[in-house]
Amino acid sequence: MSGATAMLRYLAKRAAFLLGTLVIATYITILIANAGGLIDEILSAQIKYDITTNLARTPGWSQLPENEKTRIINERFESAIKAKGLDKPFLERTIYYLIDALTLNLGRALFITSASGSKRVVDIILERLPLTVLLFTTGTILYSIVGLFIGLYMARRPGGPFDRLFSVFAIVTQVIPPWFFGILFIMVFAYYLGLVPFGGIVSVPPPQDALGYFLDVLYHMALPLFTWVFSLFGAWAYIARNLMIQIAEEDFVVTARAKGLPENVLMRRYILRPSLPPIVTSISLSLIASWQGAIITETIFNWPGLGSLYSQAISALDAPVVIGLAVVYAYLLVATILVLDLTYGFMDPRIRGVA
Amino acid sequence: MAGGSRDIVDAIFRSKSGLAGVLILMVILGLSIVALIYVPFDVSSKWNDITFWQLNPRLAPPSWINIFLNKKLPETVIIGEKDFIKYEYYVETAGLKYVTLEAKLDYSYDEYPSEIIAMLYVNDSSGMLVTLKWIQPNGIEIPLCRLIVGHGVTPIYIGNRKDVQEGLMNTMVKLGIVPPGTIKPEVLLFSDLNHPNSFEVLKGIYRFKIDAAIPNRNATIDSKLIVYGKVYGLAGTDSKRRDLFIGVVWGAPVALAFGLTTAILTSFIQTLLGTLSAWYGGLVDEVFQRITDIYMILPFLPILITISVIYKINIWTLLAIVVALSVFGSATKTARSMALQIMSEPYVEAAVSYGASRRRIMLLYILPRLLPYTMANIVLSVPSYVFLEAALSLLGLGDPTMPTWGKIISDAFEGGAVIHGLWWWVLIPSTLIIMTAIAFALIGLALDKVVNPRLRER
Repeated sequence: MSGATAMLRYLAKRAAFLLGTLVIATYITILIANAGGLIDEILSAQIKYDITTNLARTPGWSQLPENEKTRIINERFESAIKAKGLDKPFLERTIYYLIDALTLNLGRALFITSASGSKRVVDIILERLPLTVLLFTTGTILYSIVGLFIGLYMARRPGGPFDRLFSVFAIVTQVIPPWFFGILFIMVFAYYLGLVPFGGIVSVPPPQDALGYFLDVLYHMALPLFTWVFSLFGAWAYIARNLMIQIAEEDFVVTARAKGLPENVLMRRYILRPSLPPIVTSISLSLIASWQGAIITETIFNWPGLGSLYSQAISALDAPVVIGLAVVYAYLLVATILVLDLTYGFMDPRIRGVA
Repeated sequence: MAGGSRDIVDAIFRSKSGLAGVLILMVILGLSIVALIYVPFDVSSKWNDITFWQLNPRLAPPSWINIFLNKKLPETVIIGEKDFIKYEYYVETAGLKYVTLEAKLDYSYDEYPSEIIAMLYVNDSSGMLVTLKWIQPNGIEIPLCRLIVGHGVTPIYIGNRKDVQEGLMNTMVKLGIVPPGTIKPEVLLFSDLNHPNSFEVLKGIYRFKIDAAIPNRNATIDSKLIVYGKVYGLAGTDSKRRDLFIGVVWGAPVALAFGLTTAILTSFIQTLLGTLSAWYGGLVDEVFQRITDIYMILPFLPILITISVIYKINIWTLLAIVVALSVFGSATKTARSMALQIMSEPYVEAAVSYGASRRRIMLLYILPRLLPYTMANIVLSVPSYVFLEAALSLLGLGDPTMPTWGKIISDAFEGGAVIHGLWWWVLIPSTLIIMTAIAFALIGLALDKVVNPRLRER
């Protein structure tokens, strides 16, 4: 029983911390955006738009004289501003906006519409989110597995030819971001070799049957996925290798080896298991970086997820979408860390409460 | 544990990787020095000025590809005003001034030029009747066009003119040859018109002739002929005819300055704050550590994008914002744990006991020990900032005036270089950016052995 409470306490602590981080990240975004009065402007423009469209639908509206119309609009506008709290001082206003943002009440986009025709920022973003998650979660799982195995292999014979070769590969790929490989790979694999499409998610027109559609998406996913795995697994393998080598020098491993335990048992129970928690910690940091790296990678591959939405919103100067995306990214990062914390909790016996 | 800046220098120059990294950096720095000599003008003001680059061919690969090709691609040939032979005479009875200009062009390339433009400079506003003629090495004379030219500079785009196409067609008909379906003046003017479908360049000396007449004794005309090639310079040109070599070598100092400054500032601030956190302990430590935890999860890039979208910023403001967003970070944590370790060492205890001031202990006894770590951290984080600038350029948020590597790559990407295989536009800036990143990574690897002796290769 005590194990479960220890775990719960750990999770509650982490959740509280992550919630705090989320609030702060969102508040920073709002402060930045509203320092120039941008959110105020967006909101009052939206209120005015809502009022005029509502009134235009009321019967007899068009018969009213022009100055009467303006008077009514202004009257309603002012009461709506009061009701929304837009006449309050700056700091109080930002708190209102913060609550709006945290409840994903992100307002209406200026130019961009979702595929379903909605202008609400939440709809636009949530429509794209699954595509980003699909590509980058698959990619991340793939590169972690590949990286871990190669790291293990490198740690077997540190200083050997394979280890040296991969260390160099890891160091080189570590400093070059995935999107940069993306540009080079599109040129090589799509232009010169013609193996894969230049970008996008399905062919135009898309295949009609479900299987064909699925295969078409896979075909379009191949290169971004390959790029993602190629550019990230090396660094991962290097981290795993270093951790393993460090642990392999610990006294308990040396003792176990002296006892004559077979090498694969040694690897699984004595080296791999204690190295997993620190590996999870380092993956959480690299994941944060890679979520953000996904923004540019998607732009390069024209993958219709959050990243391309970003570049679309930037070129259209659609500020509500840009702000909304920053909020959603804060959520995304915090959620990622929470999942990793959970995994960490289950892996680390001190937290699981086994000891 | 090693310490002091001597060890750092030693570590870099004793290891192969460090030496290689320094060597690559020297080459890139050498390039930037060449940039200052090769390009004596202010690039940031000229880079976006279209007229400044108008004598270069569009989207031309670098000249050195001719070494690898068995066909020789043409370079741009410019025949200046002084290269024209000029005759002028005034006919009293007709009241007309006649000017003839003639230039010779030796063309021995295997490919056709990409464009032909003749610039006409007339010093009189009464309108000059000008006839342009083209004489091939085999003696065939082709009338190009006839037009009235006013005062000032008049560019004649020979490749795009209807009358040039007609002139070519008429010449061929006169020779008894069936003209091809589409007439490209820049191709046919340089082919043997007796065999217009052979698609082989007729090599030899061409003559370009201008006859002009004007009813004014003092009027005159000058000309310049630009035969645009298909290769240019050391790095080719982009879609705006800009010499990419200039852009690329100017990108080097900008990228290095941006990357190094950001890396130095963030690393020093993070290390200092980590040390302070350890030094003061208690509440300060707790607050600093929690802030660091939060900073490490903040959506750094989205916040940066929001700022750049709302407040159009230049590259140096961007630098300040990046530093502000990286005041706390992973280095704060590492520096804190290292400082805690150092503080428990006897010599610090001794310093405390003989009454050394806090500032003295901090600045002279603790921080210098953290120097190798900070150095490694700086070196390892430079590439990420160089790429950050490029990433922002790709999103359309870079500094629009400066030719940075990121800007050139993003221009290339948007200009369709990747999907049309304009390799030089992408690969040359990419190679430089990768070389810079690898140079820093190699130096970092050398320093890594000083900072983490446990990971030393066995």
